[in-house]
Order: sequence, then C-alpha cells, then structure tokens
Amino acid sequence: MSGVEKGSTTTKTPADFLKSIRGRPVVVKLNSGVDYRVLKKQCGAFCLIFAGILACLDGYMNIAMEQTEEYVNGQLKNKYGDAFIRGNNVLYISTSKRTLAEGA
Amino acid sequence: MATEEESAVKEPLDLIRLSLDERIYVKLRSDRELRGKLHAYDQHLNMILGDVEEVVTTVEIDDETYEEIVRTTKRTVPFLFVRGDGVILVSPPLRTA
Amino acid sequence: MLFFSYFKDLVGREVTVELKNDLAIRGILHSVDQYLNIKLENTRVVDQDKYPHMITISIFDWESVDTSFKILQFGLSVRNCFIRGSVVRYVQLPPEGVDIELLHDATRREARGG
Repeated sequence: MSGVEKGSTTTKTPADFLKSIRGRPVVVKLNSGVDYRVLKKQCGAFCLIFAGILACLDGYMNIAMEQTEEYVNGQLKNKYGDAFIRGNNVLYISTSKRTLAEGA
Repeated sequence: MATEEESAVKEPLDLIRLSLDERIYVKLRSDRELRGKLHAYDQHLNMILGDVEEVVTTVEIDDETYEEIVRTTKRTVPFLFVRGDGVILVSPPLRTA
Repeated sequence: MLFFSYFKDLVGREVTVELKNDLAIRGILHSVDQYLNIKLENTRVVDQDKYPHMITISIFDWESVDTSFKILQFGLSVRNCFIRGSVVRYVQLPPEGVDIELLHDATRREARGG
C-alpha cells in the first residue's frame, strides 16, 4: 500500500496495524486451547498468552518476540529471551497489557 | 537503506535461522516439549533435531478421590524429524533468562 | 523441498514414524512424496508407553499378545502401509542417515531461496 498518509497516527488496515507495532510491547493470545488436554482438564477453560516486545512478524503471522512471558490462565509460567511463535496458533495480537490481569 | 546483515532479525524465521546448530526449546501441541540441537528446518517449521529430550505432560484422575495427578514423561531420541504443524513456539533456551 | 529430498535419500533405511494419535510404526522407508506422505514396508507397531520391550514384535504375532494390544490390529494387519503426511508427528531417524553438515548446508540454501 503506497497510499498510506504520511504522519497519520490512525492505522487504517490490519496490515497497517501490524506494521505499526514493531518494537512495541504486545500481548499475543493463542487459539490452541483445544490441544492442551492436561491444562484444560485442570482449569476448565484454557487460555495461553504471550507478552513481550514484538521484534517482527510476517504474512503468516509468525511472530518473533523478545523478553517473552508465557501466561497460562493469567499465571506466569515461563520466560523466554527470544521466542518464535508459529502464526497458525495466533488468535490475536494486542498492544494493550490490560488483558493479562483479566486473564483475557 | 538498512544493510542486510546489521539487523539480524528482519523476519521471524531469522530467529530460527540464527539457532541453526544450537540447542533450542520447542513447545508443541498436545502438551509436548522438546529440547534438542537444530540441524535443519524449513519454512513450515519442519525440523530435524539431534540429542532430543521430549517431555510429555499428562494428567490422570484418581478414581476414588478425583484428584488430578499431573505427570511428566521424559525420553531421549538421537535424531528426530518434527512435523512443523505441531509447533507452537520455538526458543533458543540458552538465551532464556 | 529440503525434507522431501532428505527423505528421498533415506529410502531403504529403517525409521519409526510416530503419528498424532500416539501410534508409532517402525518400518523400512519405501517412498515419500512432496507432501511427506510416507510408504513403509515390513512394518510393526511400537507402543512405547506400555511395551518398550516389544519393539521386535512381528505384525503376525498380534494374536499372541494381550487384548489391549489388539486394538492396534488395524495398523498391524498390513505389512506395508501408506501414511498421510499430515498425521505424522515425528519420524525417528537412524543416526547413520543423518549427515549434519549436509543438513546445515541444505537448510541455509533453503532459507536463502525461501
């Protein structure tokens, strides 16, 4: 898209949004709950979230993140210096950190 | 113009490229985790790992108390091809803080 | 193409294919295609959870093993089998079939091309 206005602060398309969030803290929620048999049984519902600095992403929504924290049902379970997340697992990418406390 | 080499990670797969011949951590679907040396990969995240340790987490429910018993099963495999569609996350473990 | 080529070179060697339904089948790699569909010959089932010692059970011996094993009858009833690539979780590779330098080179080439 070459027609993006210069200096525009409002993102207009999903692609523009994705371009604008590089290097920002993000929250990535995965949709792969169905395959987490163990934790799903434990908690009833299941929610897997990664929070960290978005290094970059590609057209498949593969994501490279830094200083990544893994939250399972709102609880911190793991930390990774660098992390690659395979795009097919991504439910959403958010720039808000508020969803973490709520367990999304 | 940014030079090609200066920013090491320009796209997510660069993170995997830089991990070639390094021990990595792989989180898979169905409660599986692998640690092994990355010998090959492609754009689907199909991989060949060496000196692999697999950890499988299972939960059993006690028939009488209905208590949930979480168990982890470990095994090692010398060389393993991993189909990419099961991959959730890949991380170089040594850089894990 | 990297893994298609790799598995083509592996034809004739014995591998263990682990499926997403936890079934593990050991056999001689007969052929492979671009989807990584796999054809195995001289197959036998390996149940690593319960029968780590039964790795050598022949497919024709299944009547002699206990009932929990008979559930694997479908997998055992054929000496050769075709496995759809998408149901594969792992393939355990024979160490002599892994040339690490070759894999590194092929991977770097693939990364540049892709």
